[in-house]
Amino acid sequence: MTHFLRLRHRQPTTHRVTAPHLAELYARAAATFGELPAFATRRAANEWSPLSFRELYAQGQALATALIDLGLERQAHIGLLADNRVEWIIADCATQLAGAANVPRGSDVTDEEIVTIFGHAGVTVAFVESEALEQRLMALRERLPHLQQLILMHPKAQPQQPLTRHLYQLIEDGEALRAAGDRRVEERVAALRPDDLFTLIYTSGTTGAPKGVMLTHANMISQIENIPIKINCADRVLSILPIWHVYERVFEMFAISQGCCTYYSSVQTLQEDLRNVEPTFMGSAPRLWESLHQRILKSIRQRHPMRRALFRIAYFLSHHYKESVFFLTGRRADLYRQPRAWVALAGVVHVLRWLLLLPWYGFFNAAVLEQVRLAVGGNLKGSVSGGGALPDEIDRFFNYLGIPVLEGYGLTETSPVLAVRTYEQLMIGTVGPMIRGTELRIVCLESGAVLYPDPQRRDGGRGLKGEVVVRGPQVMKGYYRNPEATAQALRNGWFHTGDIGVVSHGDCLQIVGRCKETIVLANGENLEPAPIELNLTQSPLIEQCVVVGQDRRYPAALIVPSLEGFRDAGWAVGSVAELAADAQARRSVEAEIKTRIAPVNGFRAHERIQRVRLLEQRFATGEELTQLLKVKRHVVAQKYAHEIESLYQ
Amino acid sequence: MEIEQQLINPMQQGLLALMILIIMFGMGAALTPQDFRHALQRPRGMLIGFLSQFGLMPLIAFGLAHLLQLSPAKAIALILIGCLPGGSTSNMFAYFARGSLALSISMTAASTMLALIMMPLLLDLYASGFAEQLDAQLREAGSDTHFVIPYGNIVASLLLVIVPVIGGMVLRRYSPGWAKTAEDTAGFMAIIVILFLLVSALLLRTEYFLATPWEIYVAAVCIGLVGFLFGYGTATAFRLPPRFKRAISLETGIQNGPIALAIIMLSFAEPIQSEMLWVAILYSAFIVITSSFVTLYYRRIGQLDWDLHHNTRIHQRLFGANYQTRYPRRVIGDVDTR
Repeated sequence: MTHFLRLRHRQPTTHRVTAPHLAELYARAAATFGELPAFATRRAANEWSPLSFRELYAQGQALATALIDLGLERQAHIGLLADNRVEWIIADCATQLAGAANVPRGSDVTDEEIVTIFGHAGVTVAFVESEALEQRLMALRERLPHLQQLILMHPKAQPQQPLTRHLYQLIEDGEALRAAGDRRVEERVAALRPDDLFTLIYTSGTTGAPKGVMLTHANMISQIENIPIKINCADRVLSILPIWHVYERVFEMFAISQGCCTYYSSVQTLQEDLRNVEPTFMGSAPRLWESLHQRILKSIRQRHPMRRALFRIAYFLSHHYKESVFFLTGRRADLYRQPRAWVALAGVVHVLRWLLLLPWYGFFNAAVLEQVRLAVGGNLKGSVSGGGALPDEIDRFFNYLGIPVLEGYGLTETSPVLAVRTYEQLMIGTVGPMIRGTELRIVCLESGAVLYPDPQRRDGGRGLKGEVVVRGPQVMKGYYRNPEATAQALRNGWFHTGDIGVVSHGDCLQIVGRCKETIVLANGENLEPAPIELNLTQSPLIEQCVVVGQDRRYPAALIVPSLEGFRDAGWAVGSVAELAADAQARRSVEAEIKTRIAPVNGFRAHERIQRVRLLEQRFATGEELTQLLKVKRHVVAQKYAHEIESLYQ
Repeated sequence: MEIEQQLINPMQQGLLALMILIIMFGMGAALTPQDFRHALQRPRGMLIGFLSQFGLMPLIAFGLAHLLQLSPAKAIALILIGCLPGGSTSNMFAYFARGSLALSISMTAASTMLALIMMPLLLDLYASGFAEQLDAQLREAGSDTHFVIPYGNIVASLLLVIVPVIGGMVLRRYSPGWAKTAEDTAGFMAIIVILFLLVSALLLRTEYFLATPWEIYVAAVCIGLVGFLFGYGTATAFRLPPRFKRAISLETGIQNGPIALAIIMLSFAEPIQSEMLWVAILYSAFIVITSSFVTLYYRRIGQLDWDLHHNTRIHQRLFGANYQTRYPRRVIGDVDTR
């Protein structure tokens, strides 16, 4: 009944490539897409230099030859310390063609991390982005006994040390060797197996010491084949998230397999690049959507009243029109099956509303919403958001606006995509259905019993909360040299994610929290901090927050007040620290929290935040936040131990 | 169909005139002198568009009027619609149909100006026969006035509707923000006008709907559809790129309905005014529906060629004007990416 209006987007098909391993993927992409641009580097706002698929492969081959000539072993671990840049992908191509695996990390890596990771992985050769990184590594020389060779990546950087060579210099060497008939690369590629590692990624997760996630060629190839997103050589992908994280990397590999060009952007130039490159697709994090949301609302506030009113009407119509479309196409995130009669009745109402709104929506969508979409970046067909939960309000805003945000779910250990919404199953509030080839179980947190799928239970176990456990071709081989952690995460081939999820009636997965995040109060009551924090950060007065209260009498919150929010509310304040010292500001925040964490919003009595502490500084990436801007609770707990203590005195 | 009453009363006429004024003003607010210059600089697409718009469309109207054996007044109204310049709604549809927006806008701009010469010529060519028939009928019915097509009045009313267009362009020159508002408001107004006319006719003059012979409905629907088809065919015959085909097709089928209403109100008197207005109103109502469907269809079939073309353009913008994007045939098939 609810599926009778399923619309199919029939896209013209174009050729795409796949291969048994990534070395072959680079080769086939070069053979298929030839001179089409594969990557583009920004020189100025409207001046970019392209690197074609053929050039990428040729340079990768030359560099691989030079690496082999330097004595790089098969399946060796190459360090790769750099941010997104085209030399990163050349280095990766060379690594795969040499049959090795890389250990990537961003340029903001700390000295301690370098020592731990390189030591643990046994890195002998490392690519470094800049002279600054080269200097840092040289200073750590004593603590890195295995390191033999550094390779500088930035085209303008000059090697400062006898140990260092330049990437482009090595490419020249490799070209000369190949011209002289060196075919060692072909031998390496022929020896490569799908089960070999292509990368070793050390996670600085939300808890504990970094672990080396072993990902195989087969893991990545399965992602390329199973991610249900349609792009082709007419698309442009903007790269903004850190490439050393597998989430961004999978999109770049996916782009290569589809023949589309990836444009390297940065946080500083993003607004300009959105306008000039007019990307059709991008991997993104919730933070990006939050800031775009703010930008759009701001630009609408600044318009004159007539156009603002037109936008309000357009948004209102789109909201109600799309709600009906979502209902009629079965895109509701109901946890339980609804009674037939009720669905039929609602269906009739929705058909009427849909018909009534269609012409009005059509006009306002064309005349008003299209303008707003153009302001965001023109041709964006959609975007996958991952690396954290997207606030419901923002999720809805963009979907009603006509920019489908496909929220996805995964972990580094699962290379990373496990589930993602598609255009056909765009269920807001969920992370969509599992991708092809991936099996899902929801397991009871206490007993370990399988709750879903279980035909014995009501609706097959849908609607029951438990740990998300998965099995599929993208699941890692294990943690490198860490059998205890591997045995804990991988049991009988099933990977335990540590996330709490629930399957909706429409077979979409909803993530509701982290197992280890659960706060148990002194009185034994459990509460999930994530939904509370998600709600609080939607307040204009609150920028960031962390809910605490493990083994305490009541939950409390550390709050970073939003300077902008307070200024918009008419406060004349100069800094966050100033706000933190202001008792009046604290009372405003407290009042805000009281209205938000209330029974009307679905919160229970024991979840009410009893006390609040305003912090003097924003959380910093790499410090309290991970690269994907998730809060590292253990860091917060340590750093703000004193403040947390004060909340319970 | 013997209805002596006027279709719309003087108060409604005044309101309608005001709305037309706003619509034409909004149309002007979307135009810049640049659009006219573009039209002159790259005339090939435009010339083929004109061939289709002023060559085929009146002929289609004439053919339909004969085929369906319409009464002389309705036939003249249909031919008048066939001779009209393009409307500003065609630009919006062309945009969503992944057609060339620049071509659509410059065709609209140029055809509005050209209509001053073309409309009298074309009406003389196709409608004079029907005018004689009408004249004979009127005299049979005992009228002592001669009916001739009021060419002078038509040109005068065209000039009159061009005044707000120029006004809109001036606004655009000095205040792009307000011009944008005027453009959005006018687009909205165009739908309101059609709905207002239809609903008021439905409520007050239900007999009009019932008394309208089926041929009129067929004519009102078909003139647009056949126009889309022939416009596409003409552009295909001249081997234009796909996005030009879609723009010319829509530009041919979508005529400037408000101008038709203005001309009929200002240039024709009762007893034929209401009859003619009714044809124009029905055309305006149906064209919104048919062009919506055609636009959705074009949007779908045009996805790949538009994406590829747009990608090429962005490559040239970012990588330099000399950059050549070469899509391998085995990747994209035989899609025209010009």
